Amino acid sequence: MNVKKSRSGASSPLNGIDKQDAESRRKKKEADITQALSVTPVDVAVLRRMAISEGGLLTDEIRCKVWPWLLNVNLEGISEQLEEVDRTNNKDYNQVLLDVQRSLRRFPPGMPDEQRMGLQEELIDIILRVLVKNPQLHYYQGYHDIVVTFLLVLGERLATALVEKLSTHHLRDFMDPTMDNTKHILNYLMPIIDRVNPEVHDFMEQAEVGTIFALSWLITWFGHVLSDFRHVVRLYDFFLACHPLMPIYFAAVIVLYREEEVLDCECDMASLHHLLSQIPQDLPYETLISRAGDLFVQFPPSELSREATQQRRRETASSTFKDFDLASTQQRPDSAVRRRRRGEREQQQQGPPAMEAKQGAMVAVRPAARRFVRLAVMGITVALGAAALAMVNSALEWAPKLDLHFFP
Amino acid sequence: MADVESSLEYTTSLGSLPPPRTRIFKIIVIGDSGVGKTCLTYRFCASKFPEKTEATIGVDFREKVIEIDGEKIKVQLWDTAGQERFRKSMVQHYYRNVHAIVFVYDITNAASFRSLPAWIEECKQHSLGQEVPRILVGNKCDLRHAAQVSTEAAQQFADSHSMPLFETSAKNPSHADSDTYSSNSDHVEAIFMTVAHKLKSQKPLVLSQPANNTVTLRNQRGGEEEKGGWSCNNC
Repeated sequence: MNVKKSRSGASSPLNGIDKQDAESRRKKKEADITQALSVTPVDVAVLRRMAISEGGLLTDEIRCKVWPWLLNVNLEGISEQLEEVDRTNNKDYNQVLLDVQRSLRRFPPGMPDEQRMGLQEELIDIILRVLVKNPQLHYYQGYHDIVVTFLLVLGERLATALVEKLSTHHLRDFMDPTMDNTKHILNYLMPIIDRVNPEVHDFMEQAEVGTIFALSWLITWFGHVLSDFRHVVRLYDFFLACHPLMPIYFAAVIVLYREEEVLDCECDMASLHHLLSQIPQDLPYETLISRAGDLFVQFPPSELSREATQQRRRETASSTFKDFDLASTQQRPDSAVRRRRRGEREQQQQGPPAMEAKQGAMVAVRPAARRFVRLAVMGITVALGAAALAMVNSALEWAPKLDLHFFP
Repeated sequence: MADVESSLEYTTSLGSLPPPRTRIFKIIVIGDSGVGKTCLTYRFCASKFPEKTEATIGVDFREKVIEIDGEKIKVQLWDTAGQERFRKSMVQHYYRNVHAIVFVYDITNAASFRSLPAWIEECKQHSLGQEVPRILVGNKCDLRHAAQVSTEAAQQFADSHSMPLFETSAKNPSHADSDTYSSNSDHVEAIFMTVAHKLKSQKPLVLSQPANNTVTLRNQRGGEEEKGGWSCNNC
């Protein structure tokens, strides 16, 4: 799998051409984004694609312009004057203060203390402002890790507006009075892993590792666990452009990427929890992002929800997601793949249903699986842009368990 | 203290595989947000004070292999999030098969002390009652000048719940404003070693037994723990 070190070519002369190529693609992308922003109405579908595809939105300057569109926040509607925050009679103040004071690692290493402390004050204000204005939202430890990312990229004024929108949509479930819905979203993790690699799934089940190792990943959008800010904002580009459940797909992809380590680990809760919660810092982010997109298209939440849920349907962030303009990105490729998949299925009706296809039968099914994956990747390319192309080769080695039942 | 130190063999790495029949003591560390649970567990497992700790989200895990009477024992510490919302629906998975509980409060934060009955109740709801060894740790003793919880009040509380009390500081002793020469780090070590001794003396582990015999440790170490100013209800 050619997934390592995709970004560190600078030191190697062999990568000179790659570097040139990357530079020209970058230029092209910048131009495309500028173009999408300049048309009326702004082409949000293109902006979503840009945010997902290789390299994401490239710079914080671009993010300032594009993130509001991804969240459907009208820049002109944001008031110039930020509301004053009354800290004295605030039920959340103590907890927020405690967490923000301890969040030193979220700030750039070289930043002077004075500047950092100023930002920490702003961070507290943003959080309290959003919470006061939206009494239905409840602060959770980790929320500050998300807000700090927005603050560092956007500044206090813009961050306040975007964080508020994010909190009432993508993060809504995490901000319930209890964490029941958060737990429910974590329940998607194991079914996704099962679809792709039943062996890893079974091993984790046997170890009874649970899913709490992924809790901080999910509710901070990985902001709590990744030390390089560039990686964090790259992921935020991706998540802001996608369905609110995408972070759980990304979590699954990380576990799957570490397949060998997982299977080599002692099969007990402590060892596995320890292994999985220590996230590697050198992940091949671009590859994993396109894999997560691929998995989302192949196994959309609707297909997994039966397994993920034992409880009643609730209003979740995923159901409020229709507020956003997601027409082109999420839905079209999904249905395209389904259509193709249906075609595939008709072609190979003689094939054994994968549900029954255990060890031996899997071998027979595999060629079909490979064909499917390639088609799927083409379908996803519509949504994920160039990044998906880069994964065609590795996707073949990574053929998921084919299960026709999931696409009726 | 030095003799105790040298008799220990520990590792913080999961990489060094202990022999297959190594016993595992699973200890859960609970208490309010910001009382220093992460610092205490880090202190014990890595033998130093962490430079920057952040809010724990969910559950963190640390472990250390110690040796008691020639037996290697793996001490697993489960460091939990302090915010209430996490314990309600998230953490219960980690209460299973727990051998001992460490309740932590911050001596400079009276509210964290007042929360203790709720934490004890929480454990009861997870079927962890008095039969499971429990200890009470008052942290941040280096800030004695800002104390809001007196040793007497804490001792009284500990007695009423049949727990030994320890007061300690997980912080680097150079920051302590106590005038003793002693190093607080050893106390954190000693606290968890006390629990480990206690657990080792139980056969089988879940044997019902009041949590009152730190005698094993004291016998071995004489009265040394007196020096650092921490106390337990057997002292």
